[in-house]
Amino acid sequence: MTLSLIEGLLLVFVLGCAIGAAVLRDVLASLMAFAAYSLGISIIWVMLEAPDVGLTEAAVGAGIMTILFILALANTVRPQENGLFESLSVRTVVLVGAFVVVMVATVPSLPAIGADGAANPVVSGEVTQHYIDNAYADTEVKNAVTAVLAAYRGFDTLGEAVVVFSAGVAALTVLRQEVFA
Amino acid sequence: MFELLNSHYNYFAVMLLLGIGLYMLIESRNLVKKVIGMNIFQTGIFLFFITLAFRTGGNPPIIKEGGGPYVSPLPHVLILTAIVVGVSLTAVALALIIRIYTEYGTLDEDKLKQLYYD
Repeated sequence: MTLSLIEGLLLVFVLGCAIGAAVLRDVLASLMAFAAYSLGISIIWVMLEAPDVGLTEAAVGAGIMTILFILALANTVRPQENGLFESLSVRTVVLVGAFVVVMVATVPSLPAIGADGAANPVVSGEVTQHYIDNAYADTEVKNAVTAVLAAYRGFDTLGEAVVVFSAGVAALTVLRQEVFA
Repeated sequence: MFELLNSHYNYFAVMLLLGIGLYMLIESRNLVKKVIGMNIFQTGIFLFFITLAFRTGGNPPIIKEGGGPYVSPLPHVLILTAIVVGVSLTAVALALIIRIYTEYGTLDEDKLKQLYYD
């Protein structure tokens, strides 16, 4: 599949917001850039035919996450510093640039976007085919994502619930005001 | 090079997002911005998975008569779980940040280091 105009614009928007989040000095401005980034990427999920992920990203990534960050900012401090942008550190840019170059070197060996058949084992693999063929017969749920999430991989989802529970307990424990001697 | 960009554009975006996230994790002095960087790094990995699940002309994996071909549902499930786990991680990190602020009165990495060693 070749790059369409809307996908190109979305990718530019998302990357621009990510760079904005990185270089804006004000924490609240950086956070707003991140919220816009989450919203842009949730549209990309829909473009890639992943509506469940898009819904979750829009509700959780752009919604709950932003509220959590704003609550944290309200309870801490928003440092007032001069200048709109952070100054770039050359050393870190070189380090991260080297990391990106190494990662980009792996791109030619990946299947082209939208490939199927033998070129892309993820979409044509036995596991995917099994879920698509049997999800409705086994679980009577038409949405294969829901079927895998709640039925085939139900124990993983239970583990996820345990993670959320422990995170809640940990956050409340940490926030309880204790005075250390 | 241009052809590769045209057929693998999302993967280039993934690598750039990983780079931006890593830069924020290393270079941001404010702890809240470090957490934002961690989230950007995470979403980069999500984009990698969802792109691999995509096929041209595929429909969302909602099974109906003659509805195929479908994109792969399995990476979508993994990423749904990862998004929720990421939010839990962020919540704990922000709780720790609030606690650090009440103890030390600053979120600046350099000042925290100084306060810790004094």
